[in-house]
Amino acid sequence: MKREILIDPITRLEGHGKIDIFLNENGDVDRAYLQIPELRGFEKFAEGRPAEDMPQITSRISGVCPTAHHMAATRALDDLYKVEPPDSAKKIRELIYSLFFVEDHALHFFFLGGPDFIVGPTAPKGERNILGVLGKVGMEIGKEVIGVRKELRELISLAGGKVIHPVFGLPGGVARPLKKEEQTKFIAGAEHAVKFAQFSLGIFNDVVLKNKQYVDWILSDTYTHKTYYMGLVDENNRVNFYDGKIRVVAPEGKEFLKFKPQEYLEHIAEHVEPWSYIKFCYLKDIGWKGFEEGADSGIYAVAPLARLNASDGMATPLAQEAYEQYFTTLGGKPVHHTLANHWARLIELLYAAERSLQLAKDPEIVNPNVRTIPTEIPTEGIGVVEAPRGTLFHHYQTDEKGIVKKANLIVATQNNAARMAMSVDKAAKGLIKEGQVDDGLLNMVEMGFRAYDPCHGCATHCLPGQTPLWVRLFDAEHRLIQEIKHNGGL
Amino acid sequence: MKVLVLGLGNELLSDDAVGILTVRRLSEELKGQADFAESAVCGLALLDYFIGYDKAIIIDAIKTSQNPPGTVMSLDAEHIPPVAAPSPHYAGLPELLAISMELKIDFPQEIRIFALEVNDLHTIGGAITPAVVNGMGELVKVVARQLREWNMAYA
Repeated sequence: MKREILIDPITRLEGHGKIDIFLNENGDVDRAYLQIPELRGFEKFAEGRPAEDMPQITSRISGVCPTAHHMAATRALDDLYKVEPPDSAKKIRELIYSLFFVEDHALHFFFLGGPDFIVGPTAPKGERNILGVLGKVGMEIGKEVIGVRKELRELISLAGGKVIHPVFGLPGGVARPLKKEEQTKFIAGAEHAVKFAQFSLGIFNDVVLKNKQYVDWILSDTYTHKTYYMGLVDENNRVNFYDGKIRVVAPEGKEFLKFKPQEYLEHIAEHVEPWSYIKFCYLKDIGWKGFEEGADSGIYAVAPLARLNASDGMATPLAQEAYEQYFTTLGGKPVHHTLANHWARLIELLYAAERSLQLAKDPEIVNPNVRTIPTEIPTEGIGVVEAPRGTLFHHYQTDEKGIVKKANLIVATQNNAARMAMSVDKAAKGLIKEGQVDDGLLNMVEMGFRAYDPCHGCATHCLPGQTPLWVRLFDAEHRLIQEIKHNGGL
Repeated sequence: MKVLVLGLGNELLSDDAVGILTVRRLSEELKGQADFAESAVCGLALLDYFIGYDKAIIIDAIKTSQNPPGTVMSLDAEHIPPVAAPSPHYAGLPELLAISMELKIDFPQEIRIFALEVNDLHTIGGAITPAVVNGMGELVKVVARQLREWNMAYA
């Protein structure tokens, strides 16, 4: 009897963001499909609008990472107007961006990864939430997480205008310089962030790395794929979120490509599957060979695991130490274990905090010259940054007045889409046997894609503001034979 | 007493703009009676907005498909069932309330949610649909009434 299991978040993104698991006659998994929502229609929406509006408009694409879109768009405008911002402006941008990374990565670790790793993937589902996490690590830590985030968000507002939809990025610079008295606040906030990041890595060490079961899960074949990895690197091949070249390493760890953001179309292509809205990115240099891993398949990954693999190190001392410990513990480079993303994320958290502190202390950060006025006639601009969830591409073509004729965006989740699809399939095959399915197992299938911190597109605040999951079992004729509601909606 | 009126939504997504547009209208019509804010974020990121307020009103779009578009619905935050969300982006109000209570954060004691049943939440650049525009008038009245009640009780 062929059965279908469906894990379907019934949110506003109805019909998207679900996992279909097809069982064969033996009750083993025939194939599992992950469907994730695609950012549709936005590129059309951008057409006919002034390019200068893009940092504001694109930041509204997502209720999750507006700062990343704002920054990618701002960088695309620099390129569009062929204008080089003054050093002070670059540093202010990177400072704000680094603080955003701290805040975003912290949220992910404690609120998303935490339920899986601190509470445990097979714990009763009622405990697999932030309250369960706080129950394990202590309420004081919850206060600390919320307190640090609040402090950092206030700093981002101070420099960037609105924290949710920042308005500081302009072609050739930023909207206003930092004042001397503000610098002191940034230094204090960044110092706090460094301590917080160290403390978070400490928790990971104590709760996850000292638990053999968790380490076995991280290392298990079920959550492992040998693919290419992509990330932005600085001139020394160290991880950079804001600037640099795009570097790709092969599954065995050697550099395969290194190119300027402006050359992305020469190396990245998109593949379409009939069962998914999302376009699956792959490396043109290798080609699309189906959902296969290995050096002959063009599938690559982005986000923390990929960034660490694609680099030669971290540009700050404490993060570099953590980077070395990570690769030593996990058996050298590259690390192919998807769940190691959680650890890699914390190393990046530490880097972002240390980088914030470096930049906050830099005397140049209070230089009042923060803008180079564009004088060139615009035609085409490409901006690439690392979003917390991976490499983010913004590409605009305009007329001579700067009105957008064509826009192309590749979001992090698209870069990761093929590997995520493979992760879900492999996890389902590895975990579901002979028709035995329970809540804990399904959660462990979801862990296969949750580690990537996939962004499900546009803001998901619409009521009920939550994602009830359900599982449906179908027989060979697709008749519904069982239905499990994970949790209720309204 | 400090009261917050928070409009949620995304201006780019057709009817999803209704929370934002309503709060803008309220901020003019009821100036001084509360603090007004708008946001496109979700889940835990909303926490920062509420800290320090005694009471709060949330205005949002809702899609139950069980009521005609434009219907105003009134909900208590604590009556929305909590969920084990698969992503922090989906953590909802119940989680916020639970966390704030657990951590003893200075959080509103009462949160009222007024939501308008909508048609279309997906079309990027789509206009707000006529039935929803009509419903906004009633929504404004309902929120104004709630604010009056609270303000009178504390006068």
